[in-house]
Amino acid sequence: MSILPQALSARLANWFTAPMLVSFLVFGTMPFWIDAVGLYQYLGVEVMIWVIFALAVNLLLGYTGLPSFGHGAFLGIGAYAYGLTQFNVAANLWISLLGAVVVTAALGGLVAALISHRRGIYFALMTIACAQIFYFVASKWTDMTGGEDGLLNILRLPVDLGLTEFSIKSNFNLYYLCFAAYVIIVVLMWRLVHSPFGQIIRAIKQNDSRVAFLGYNVWLYKWLIFTLSCAISGLAGALFAMAQEGAYINIMSLQWSGIVILMVLIGGGFINFWGPVLGVIFYFLARDILGAYTDTWLLWFGLIFVIMVMFKPEGLAGIWHDAQSMFGRRKAKPQPDPSAKPSHAGGD
Amino acid sequence: MALFEAHHLHKRFADQVVLEDITLSFEVNQISGIMGPNGAGKTTCFNVLTGRYRPDRGKVLFDGQDITGLPPRKIARHGIARSFQMMNLFDEYTALENIVLALPEVRAKGFSVLHDLAHDGSAQDRGAAVLARIGLAGREHTLSSALSYGQRRALEIGIALAAEPRMLFLDEPTSGLGTDATATLAALIQEIRKSVTIVIIEHDMKFLFDLADRIAVIHWGQVIAQGSPEALGENEWVRASNLGALA
Amino acid sequence: MFDFLIGLLPHLLNGVALGLLFALLSLGFMLIIGVMEVINLAHGSLFALGAYFAVMLMGQDGGLPFAFMQSYYDLPAIPRYIIALIVAPALVGVVGMGLEICLRRTYGKDPLYGLLLTFGAALVLEEVIREIWGPAEYFLPLPKAISGGFFFGDLIYSNYRIFAAIFAMAMIGLLWAFLNRTPYGAVIKAGAHDSEMVRVLGYNLSRLRLYVFAFGAALAAIAGIIMAPIWGVRPHVGVDAVIPAFVVIVLGGVGSFWGAVSAGLLVGMMVALTAAFLTEWSLLSMYLLLLVVVTFRSRGFAGKASALEQ
Repeated sequence: MSILPQALSARLANWFTAPMLVSFLVFGTMPFWIDAVGLYQYLGVEVMIWVIFALAVNLLLGYTGLPSFGHGAFLGIGAYAYGLTQFNVAANLWISLLGAVVVTAALGGLVAALISHRRGIYFALMTIACAQIFYFVASKWTDMTGGEDGLLNILRLPVDLGLTEFSIKSNFNLYYLCFAAYVIIVVLMWRLVHSPFGQIIRAIKQNDSRVAFLGYNVWLYKWLIFTLSCAISGLAGALFAMAQEGAYINIMSLQWSGIVILMVLIGGGFINFWGPVLGVIFYFLARDILGAYTDTWLLWFGLIFVIMVMFKPEGLAGIWHDAQSMFGRRKAKPQPDPSAKPSHAGGD
Repeated sequence: MALFEAHHLHKRFADQVVLEDITLSFEVNQISGIMGPNGAGKTTCFNVLTGRYRPDRGKVLFDGQDITGLPPRKIARHGIARSFQMMNLFDEYTALENIVLALPEVRAKGFSVLHDLAHDGSAQDRGAAVLARIGLAGREHTLSSALSYGQRRALEIGIALAAEPRMLFLDEPTSGLGTDATATLAALIQEIRKSVTIVIIEHDMKFLFDLADRIAVIHWGQVIAQGSPEALGENEWVRASNLGALA
Repeated sequence: MFDFLIGLLPHLLNGVALGLLFALLSLGFMLIIGVMEVINLAHGSLFALGAYFAVMLMGQDGGLPFAFMQSYYDLPAIPRYIIALIVAPALVGVVGMGLEICLRRTYGKDPLYGLLLTFGAALVLEEVIREIWGPAEYFLPLPKAISGGFFFGDLIYSNYRIFAAIFAMAMIGLLWAFLNRTPYGAVIKAGAHDSEMVRVLGYNLSRLRLYVFAFGAALAAIAGIIMAPIWGVRPHVGVDAVIPAFVVIVLGGVGSFWGAVSAGLLVGMMVALTAAFLTEWSLLSMYLLLLVVVTFRSRGFAGKASALEQ
């Protein structure tokens, strides 16, 4: 009688964890309190999209040790592909989303085929070169992409759920579409990195030649994870095109590829699954809060980043781990010191 | 026919000939040793035999099958495992995780996303058994980077063993070990030789002469002598190196 | 056909000038990779900073508004230009030293951290430039002797490009002599080969790193000053510069002096020739070249195994 619930809970534990549920709770209720804390609905949409994108980047950087320094290109490709599918194939949300994911995965797979035998800085450099090629093609192929003007008038198509459909014209509703994507991506990605496949890509990060001598096809694993990361970036790009109601060349620039790496690292993607989430939240809060005081907020953000790399390269997640172990040690004492409670940085 | 044969291997890097007409054979369930001075081409020879480098000429046969120039993963899948002179562990993983990843049953599940190795009883048990065999019982959940040097050396061999190979190549397994640890290692190799054919590159002549059934001496990229330890004791080069006394 | 080739000449000259400047920039970049094993993404920002300092030292638009500077700005253009060519790189060298001190905490860790730190530094330096000089474009005033142009046949050649090519060639020659004919060069090369060796030779490794970084930064600044009249001086010019440097290093092969020079010339020619005939695609050609070469020769023309592959 009691065996069944236990087996069930063990199976559920394979799929869900406490921090994951906390993140669902916080993000799931965000539109209801974000105005109250002085922020705005569109910020929530941006955060969700960049969280999905940053998680995709971290699948490469943090888990497989593959520094992709040109990943912004795939965000852009997803956005263009979403718009172009909508205009040329079918004005249906699901078909357009599928178009974005498939096109980005295909181009990502092509790039991955060229670079999967490389590692380290050479890998990073090849990703930069490929991203720049995509950037130039997108900026010059005006008939297709609108060139420097961008692909305008991309629609927020209604979400057709068969029995019912709802509009995502308002940022509030669009947020929930992004949130749904986040939930699916997080659950699947968590499962992926905790499966044998995930163990192997982490082993590749630590020592790829040993993995090959154990009989694994390292090239294929790298190819798969790169292509998968591109597919997820394509999804984020499609959502970005909806949010901006257009696709612009700007996000394909190296600047944005660099900034997403910066977000992942500041959050602590090297040591924690949730690092990219923290990093994205930190970036957008810094942009809006520092940005309210100074035009040169990027200067201060850059300084924070430099100091972080110097003194705490494990990022916000590293600070959280330190706080936790400090708290853990204090807890062993008879009377815990209330001031040693960890900050709320990791609560969301 | 021997289990593993290499015929007339040549390998050069740029204008430097590293291996010149190397012919070796390793008999089933024997321990074979390879020795020679630094830079003689021993490790290059291993790298060619286990697929890291492709030979320029020559042939490598395993159990009658031609495995010349195959990439490391294919050679591994034929049942050939190796350890490394420079330690090659997964430092962010525990001892047990290091071992589990090498198990053939885990390799077969490599693309599965529904499994969870931490909850895979059979893989965990097999991994723990390998750890017990190499004397690391009780250290299952220690990070490999936190193990002592000798334990890391043992784990290095454990990973190779976990792949359940028919043939095991060990590259300087005693390097950096003290007398006691070397003796423990010798006992371990004596124990595993019952189930697997072993080839060892070694500097420690006493260690090698005690264990090996046959020894090949490589110098200037060539096999200059081979035979039983007793016979090699009479060899000119071995004597010249003042090693004959150990045989 | 002959006319076509003659018509090509000015573009080839541009290509040579651009290529030599790319090579000069890349050599500073490579010195830093060699001794510190750091990919200095802020190298382009140091290049830009050099150009801005030179603008400041030349006076006119970008001069300092202090009274005591006025008598200096009254000097003829040639001494001011020479002073700018010496003082601006020295100032950038000092900035480079500051950067190296920040970088020390990443030595011995994953090389990715050094790369990320310099990426952050590049962001900061670009914003600092925006804050001080604003987003507008500056032009570096030149002495009359090296500006203007001359006719050769029917074609106009720019005096400045010829000066730039000769100057860059001289700098590359001096750098080669410095690295290969002086004891300092020998220590730097030892450091690039194996940092332990520097200690064994009895030199202070951290001081060597400090000076080499400053030296690399100064080379970037010199390239920035020479390039300024060709590219203009904008906050973003650093990013336009660091990418070709990166490409040149990888094409030429890490650790190879003449590899960098020949790759610099090749990239310069390629960019200049495509700019002449397919203006839109000139930068793309550089990346395609990189992709093709590196696909077939993983370490470029003459590269050795290096920390970059870990």
